[in-house]
Amino acid sequence: MIRRRDQIRLSVRKIGLRRKRAVFSIISVALGILVVVTVNSLVSGIRDLVIRTGFTEEIDKDVIRVTHTPRHYGDEESSSSRKRAQFLSDELLAEFCEWKEVEAAAPEIRIQPVNVEALAESPRAASHDYAMGAPEALICRYADARELAACEGVIPLVLGERFVKLRYHERTSKFELEDPARVQSWIGRDVTLRVGDPMGQLERFRYDYDKKQWLRLSEEEIAQRRKHIESYEGEFDKMIHNRLLTLKGRVVGFCPGTRLLMPEEPARLCAKWLKQRNDLARLRPVEPPAEYGPHGRRAPREGEFTRATVLLKAGTNPEPVVKRLKEMGFGATTRQNAFESFLKEVDTAMKIVKRIGYAFGGVLLLLACGLLWSTTSRIVSDSRADIGLFRALGATKGDVRRLFLTETVFLGALGTLVGIFLGWTAAYWISRLVLHIAAGEISDPEEMLMIPRSLFSVDWTRCALLLAGAAAVSLLAGLWPANRAANVDPVKALKRE
Amino acid sequence: MIRLDNVSVTYRLKGESVEALRNASLALDGGSFVAIMGPSGSGKTTLIQVIAGLLTPTAGNVIVSGQNLRQLDDRAISEFRNRTIGFVFQFFNLPSYYTALDNVALPLVFAGVSETERRERARALLDEFGLGDRAIHKPEQLSGGEAQRVAIARALINNPKIILADEPTGNLDRDTGFRVMALLQRINRERNVTVLLVTHDEKAAAFADRVLRIEKGALAASLPPPLSPPTIPVNQRNDRSSDSPVDLQERVS
Ligand SMILES: Nc1ncnc2c1ncn2[C@@H]1O[C@H](COP(=O)(O)OP(=O)(O)OP(=O)(O)O)[C@@H](O)[C@H]1O
Ligand SMILES: [Mg+2]
Repeated sequence: MIRRRDQIRLSVRKIGLRRKRAVFSIISVALGILVVVTVNSLVSGIRDLVIRTGFTEEIDKDVIRVTHTPRHYGDEESSSSRKRAQFLSDELLAEFCEWKEVEAAAPEIRIQPVNVEALAESPRAASHDYAMGAPEALICRYADARELAACEGVIPLVLGERFVKLRYHERTSKFELEDPARVQSWIGRDVTLRVGDPMGQLERFRYDYDKKQWLRLSEEEIAQRRKHIESYEGEFDKMIHNRLLTLKGRVVGFCPGTRLLMPEEPARLCAKWLKQRNDLARLRPVEPPAEYGPHGRRAPREGEFTRATVLLKAGTNPEPVVKRLKEMGFGATTRQNAFESFLKEVDTAMKIVKRIGYAFGGVLLLLACGLLWSTTSRIVSDSRADIGLFRALGATKGDVRRLFLTETVFLGALGTLVGIFLGWTAAYWISRLVLHIAAGEISDPEEMLMIPRSLFSVDWTRCALLLAGAAAVSLLAGLWPANRAANVDPVKALKRE
Repeated sequence: MIRLDNVSVTYRLKGESVEALRNASLALDGGSFVAIMGPSGSGKTTLIQVIAGLLTPTAGNVIVSGQNLRQLDDRAISEFRNRTIGFVFQFFNLPSYYTALDNVALPLVFAGVSETERRERARALLDEFGLGDRAIHKPEQLSGGEAQRVAIARALINNPKIILADEPTGNLDRDTGFRVMALLQRINRERNVTVLLVTHDEKAAAFADRVLRIEKGALAASLPPPLSPPTIPVNQRNDRSSDSPVDLQERVS
């Protein structure tokens, strides 16, 4: 019985007989492994990147967002199957409230434009252009109870945390996490809310994609934007349209995203005011939209809504309610199913990438297997004389077989190691490239913060599996030639012509 | 020690059959030194291979050191070759990638002996053969005589009972051949190793105790060699090892 160390040494000697071929086999194994490892160590990182940058938590916990059509982000049913359009109404919302899982239901009223003066200097104010009416119960969940109770004569406001949790440093043009104490200091602060002022929407910053920086707009640029807004204001009588509703609000809490939540009642009043002001100020009557479409009425009437928020009792499973709402013909989205369906999309994409990568890697490995096989075959042919000698000196058939199996497994394992190493290197550089591109694409400062440093992750179990797999594959590739070697007739092999 | 009972080896090639050995019977005691002689194609190599268990005869039994080779499986026959038999070939058969030392130690690799012990034993043997300064040389750096001595050292490393040598002098000039013969003779006498060798040279055969003639696969009875062994001239060309035991031995015999 040959000792393992001697066996490996002899195998390496044999590899030396066909150095070029051996190198090719190693390279081909390495290439196959490289592809697999690269894909494998990037997929989870890229998925993470997509999820982090592609999804914002606009839907609150325990909330079902109801829409008058079932087609909504995250819904798979198509609208064509639906018979008639139906709108949400106060009666329906009252009915929802009767359900045992439901805590509150309110129309989702958007007020646009709305400005909070105190936020004007934040680069994020640019994307802050609507406030939303929400059920009181939802406000309660986010609000500081004492502050909320103390709100008399002021509108309690829940501020999107993205406005205040990051601070922009103009000198370094970078965002940093705001000091928690300063974030907290927003609670209880009185703010002025201005409804109906499109000029309030004027941005102070713009994102420079080349420099990847937020830059303060020049006076000139601001004037240009002002002109742009004025151009569409031309449809209105300025005397009336410039009238703004100024309200006193107080920040009582933070909610995810870039929203401004206010209770349903003031929101309804604001919306009503805005509608009436706009109707009054309109110079040219707008053509009323066609009232009926193929699925029935198109536009909601007074007291009808296209969206509503249903707040569930804390900790309730939303699925039965979602199902019921869908059965009624509405679209229903929860944070969970929105996120899940988003995840599903991302995962499908990743699965495709993975499959292509693995298939490609698999083909390469198959090729490598063939090369390993032919290399070992060659080495066996070259070694006939040695095999004869070894047998004459006392090597068993098994010894000879193991010798050549060790040789292929050695080549395979070496190729795998090289492949894993190269795969990691490739993954590292691809990760850097992707992140570089991603950083160029992203304008949202939070998303910049959320971009991970590296997409690269090492899956050790998979590496071990790959090594074992490659060893098994090369064992398979070596089996036939090694058998041939074992069955070499020493008498013939020792003969010399 | 070596017994052949009516051994026949028949090669069959496309309907034609060649009888390399016919009804060969033989009995050799331990410690014999026998030269096999016969014309080309008479079955000398075949005989050697049959005794080594490399070739299974078509008929008859081969019993070597009490073992009927027909009854041994691959593992057992390999172990038999490793422990009982030492091979010396006409063309030395020293793998070119090994040094003289590693070549000598090779049978011990298949015996599973540790590297340190292998090296120790191989070095001791090389020293004994006056090749100590050649230990790290590769086969192509050795003269024919040196190479064959390395090969003999290899045949001897695992303390075999029998050395089988197929024309060990066939690839050497005459004088070098005689020196190799002298070495084999010494091994036979000092270590009591049975030596069975094939040669075409009557003078080389004179080193042996008996000569076994073979013709067309048929063995004749063994006889003492007709000639007396030649004296070996001191060869200045390659063998600097004039102080080696071989040289001390040579005139004695
Ligand atoms: N593998 C084989 N297939 C067919 N015939 C063979 C084979 N090996 C040997 N022979 C034949 O068997 C006979 C004996 O061969 P062997 O090699 O034993 O002769 P030898 O005495 O060693 O000859 P030489 O002195 O030339 O080496 C020869 O006639 C040879 O042609
Ligand atoms: Mg021969």
